[in-house]
Amino acid sequence: METPHTEHLSSADYEHVYEPAEDSFLLLDALEADLEFLDTLQPCLCLEIGSGSGVIITALAKRLANTAHCLATDINPKACEATKRTAIRNEARVDSLRCNLTEAVRRRCIDLLLFNPPYVVTSDEELQTQQLTEHPATERNLVFSWAGGTDGRRVTDILLEQLDDILSPSGVLYLLLLQENKPDEIIEQLRRQKFEAVKYMERRIPGEHLYILKVKRLTNQKLTLSLACYWFGS
Amino acid sequence: MKLSTYNFLTSMAIKGVKVGYPLKLTINKKDVIESEFNPVFIERLLPKLDWSAVYSAAQVAELADDIPAAQPDNVAEDEQLLQRLHHLLFEIDVLEGQLECPETGRVFPITDGIPNMLLNEDEV
Repeated sequence: METPHTEHLSSADYEHVYEPAEDSFLLLDALEADLEFLDTLQPCLCLEIGSGSGVIITALAKRLANTAHCLATDINPKACEATKRTAIRNEARVDSLRCNLTEAVRRRCIDLLLFNPPYVVTSDEELQTQQLTEHPATERNLVFSWAGGTDGRRVTDILLEQLDDILSPSGVLYLLLLQENKPDEIIEQLRRQKFEAVKYMERRIPGEHLYILKVKRLTNQKLTLSLACYWFGS
Repeated sequence: MKLSTYNFLTSMAIKGVKVGYPLKLTINKKDVIESEFNPVFIERLLPKLDWSAVYSAAQVAELADDIPAAQPDNVAEDEQLLQRLHHLLFEIDVLEGQLECPETGRVFPITDGIPNMLLNEDEV
């Protein structure tokens, strides 16, 4: 997978839009490492939540080219524009859409879902005192790209609750998490929701231990096994 | 916004809305951007599409003569229809316009090709 061109984005853009960093590149690396699986999955509809600069969905759209439809959502209008510009600059086919999570998309349609959520542990007050503005001033809107509230999971938990309504029957989610987000707790919670989640990739960088969780629906056979384990284990 | 995206959009998240589909589309300004035709992909995408919304998009885009009102049984074998679907869904780019919730009349503007479907807190 090619790393998309980003020289069309300037420091002025990054005052309003999250600049690609180690977490973004880990998600890209995970997709690249799992290309063989993606070729088998043959996703028709791919969506990235909170696409920011748009590098991840653009790289994917470029790789999948005319075999998939790629959508990007963000609540920040500057991010929606940046994503669109990144897609155009790289001649990738991505439609940018302003909405919360996947709220505006029909149920159970998404075959490949990507999310690098706001994962930094912050106080919930920090988020509540912030208001998303139509004319984003420096850092006012950017805070939504990283501040994750308690356990850094305020937004992630909302998405995971809706996951059954979002993913198509064969749908897969790649989710970026931090050690502080308690990935093992999330894996367990997903198992109760009849999803199979594995730590697909991890990386330690100064100050952060990052994970990519790969999540899909439990197949009937695995579901029976998992329920049996749960039954005998309790 | 490509008309393929339109097929997947709903206003279901609005409080009290039951179906919220299909949204009423208005196109004020559009562009045509050529893209490579892949009949196999269009065929794979078909089961995910809602044909009535495909047809209404065709009507709004003034391409209704190209697309049958009801989904034919043998779309996969009809290369010409697959090509027309590709044109409608992936080459028409809506730059300015709006989407309207069929139940509440709530309007979502499309500006510079980006639909704004973000709801206010009191709407959800």
